[in-house]
Amino acid sequence: MTKVLVPTICPYCGAGCGFFIAVEKERAVGIEYMLDHPVSEGALCSKGNAALEIVGHQERLTSPLKRRGDGWAKISWEEAIGLAAKGLGDAKKRRGPASIAFLASSKCTNEENYLIEKLARLLGSPHVDNCARLCHAPSVVGLNRTLGAAGMTNPIPDVASSRCIFIIGSNLAENHPVISRWVHRAKDAGALVIVADPRETHTSWMADIFLQLAPGTDVALLNGMAHVIIREGLLDGEYIARNTKGFEVLAESVRDFTPEKAAEITGVTADEIVRAARAYASSPASSILYSMGITQHTTGTDNVQAVSNLALICGHLGRSGTGVMPLRGQNNVQGACDMGALAEFYPGYRKASDPETIKYFSSAWEADGLPTGPGLTATEMIEAATSGDVGAMYIVGEDPANSDPSSRRVRKALDALDFLVVQDVFMTATVQAADLVLPGAVWAEKEGSFTNTERRVQWSSKALDPPGSALSDREIICRVALSFGLDFDYPDAASVLAEIKRTVPQYAGITRDRLETGGLIWPCPSHDHPGTPILHSSGFKLAEGRAAIVPVPYRPAVEVANEDYPFVLTTGRAAVHHNAGSMTRRSPSLVSREPDLYVEINPTDAAKLKVVDGDPVTVTTLRGETEAHARLSVGVKEGVVFMPFHFPGTNVLTQETTDPEARIPEFKVSACRISRRD
Amino acid sequence: MPVYVDVDRCIGCRSCEVACHRVHGGIGHIHVHFVGDFASVPIFCHHCEEASCTIACFSGALYKDGERTAFDVKKCTGCGLCSLACPYGVVWTDKIAHKCDLCEGRAEPACVATCPANALTTDYELASRRERARAARAAAKGGRR
Repeated sequence: MTKVLVPTICPYCGAGCGFFIAVEKERAVGIEYMLDHPVSEGALCSKGNAALEIVGHQERLTSPLKRRGDGWAKISWEEAIGLAAKGLGDAKKRRGPASIAFLASSKCTNEENYLIEKLARLLGSPHVDNCARLCHAPSVVGLNRTLGAAGMTNPIPDVASSRCIFIIGSNLAENHPVISRWVHRAKDAGALVIVADPRETHTSWMADIFLQLAPGTDVALLNGMAHVIIREGLLDGEYIARNTKGFEVLAESVRDFTPEKAAEITGVTADEIVRAARAYASSPASSILYSMGITQHTTGTDNVQAVSNLALICGHLGRSGTGVMPLRGQNNVQGACDMGALAEFYPGYRKASDPETIKYFSSAWEADGLPTGPGLTATEMIEAATSGDVGAMYIVGEDPANSDPSSRRVRKALDALDFLVVQDVFMTATVQAADLVLPGAVWAEKEGSFTNTERRVQWSSKALDPPGSALSDREIICRVALSFGLDFDYPDAASVLAEIKRTVPQYAGITRDRLETGGLIWPCPSHDHPGTPILHSSGFKLAEGRAAIVPVPYRPAVEVANEDYPFVLTTGRAAVHHNAGSMTRRSPSLVSREPDLYVEINPTDAAKLKVVDGDPVTVTTLRGETEAHARLSVGVKEGVVFMPFHFPGTNVLTQETTDPEARIPEFKVSACRISRRD
Repeated sequence: MPVYVDVDRCIGCRSCEVACHRVHGGIGHIHVHFVGDFASVPIFCHHCEEASCTIACFSGALYKDGERTAFDVKKCTGCGLCSLACPYGVVWTDKIAHKCDLCEGRAEPACVATCPANALTTDYELASRRERARAARAAAKGGRR
């Protein structure tokens, strides 16, 4: 039998790199690089190269399981679907549809997320969310308010046209490695790179100007830069007058925010702040790339707005080489949001609180009694499970027991549910809390579209069958829906995409046939539309076509270092791991390169703690304690320590306090203490 | 066509390690070395013009084939002299010797194709061309970047 090359999209980060899976005799025998892919040009990071290691993994879930005592019993699909229908149906009957909550998956395809959203709404539940809540919820809230659209404004290859690249709160060299190829290409053409981060990271190696700010002081830095730009007249007055409103209020609010004041708060020198501000403002085309370092704060929405203010007053939007670029962490977190898997939206970002939305979908889905939102967010669902307001949950491809803050509390909440059904590919900590387990498929075992961080909708083909009796997530969701008597007759992913095309305006011109290599970048409103790589090139989709400049006061982080907890703990990622680690920690060539949880400590602090490199230590916060190995690094400043969140121990420590608007938890700043374990 | 490194571009993602490991059936020939917290550089066979390993190899398993330092596994006795002779520590031995074969049979070595940051190349001139272009731009701007 001959070898077939099946084109797929990488299941890890949001960059959306393509590669071929070589299939022979129904087995995956290797990866071939996709040289004509517009983002990756054939490149793949370590995770992409190791992606096949999870496909045939021995720990895959291969059969539906129900809880029996402390263990599990294998059951048939008929019984499993019956139990799902009964568990969810009982909760609905007893306490109404609002007692059921759904977590959709930013690992699943657009089609699957659309079906989860539709199932939840048709069952009457207003509570659907996805883990975007834990990464870019502030971008959705903040950028929708200021720019009228939450996506990345420019595509990744466009970064190469930038003359000044400002990377703040993103370690893209480790987390979206292929983006660094475009940053380097810009540098080759003379671009200047500014990196702002509390740690020296692989990304800061690329920087011409490196601003090592204290965790949680981003607004102070950005306000200080805005002050310099306004004071020195480096702004684009014409752009401000033509395209924005609210500039005067911003000018007033940062009048006292001198670089000296910003320096005092951030720990970056005033000179560096001035230099960065001048470089960003005076280049002909500057872009801002940001990520969780901006969003995962109690001030996440403020941070995002401060970023967009900077772009707006300099007119660095709507052209090649400019833009505001939230880099998304998962292969389909953008798509899950587009499909309405967010507490406050129906598909296509139609507000769940708007009667027009309900009217529209009542007609589109031929349904009565659709719930009005906003529903509970991912973090609020956990609180509601604790209090008993939510009695049943259907979680697809997410691991809140590891990825949510203060994870001990989350596990208690999941245990408190009357009924928990989890659909996943591995026995994650969340699956362990389930009453019913439905085995799903990984990306290579199903087809469908994924939307990457640039809004690029790409088709990923099916290379293999799922293992054992596991099914594609589309088939599972359809079977559950059918058991409720709902008309979920979707024979393939293309038929779901055809419905998405009708109901999601941004996807109105997207069909299966149009998604060749490179896909289409939404908004794509009609069949002959080529897609829209650059947003905001002719005004904004807000009142009067103007973007909103929203002044942002600086608020310190909720927790600060104190006598009992003298260090500030910040969290992030490592190059060879991904998110909660359920895939990468099972991937031999990745986990062997980073096997254990570590905590980066500045050598001066370590000396005071009598800790040397490799020592086992205990890290303690108000939420709990965890064990880790000390890794001495001058990349973190004194008083700051860093832990990657790919291991179960880290989020035991983080706090559940959330941003008041976007409800994202504060993952990036926790006060902690460290002691040597002897 | 040996592989060259633009050290300024290496981002320490270890993609080349995993790719090399993958295409060589679980045995990798490239290793990313970290210099403190400030830089990383992939270390692998230089395919030296006068390769000490080929001189040390008495069985003729290691030999020069044009630019390439080639390896004939059938002749290898596993004696380990090549590992001792290599000045860069990039030939190692268990039962037989292991070293970079420039991915024979592939259009381009896997590490070069997969490198997200374009730090690896088979173009000898590339790194120096990039450096000259940077210097030229700096000169045009009056010596400031």
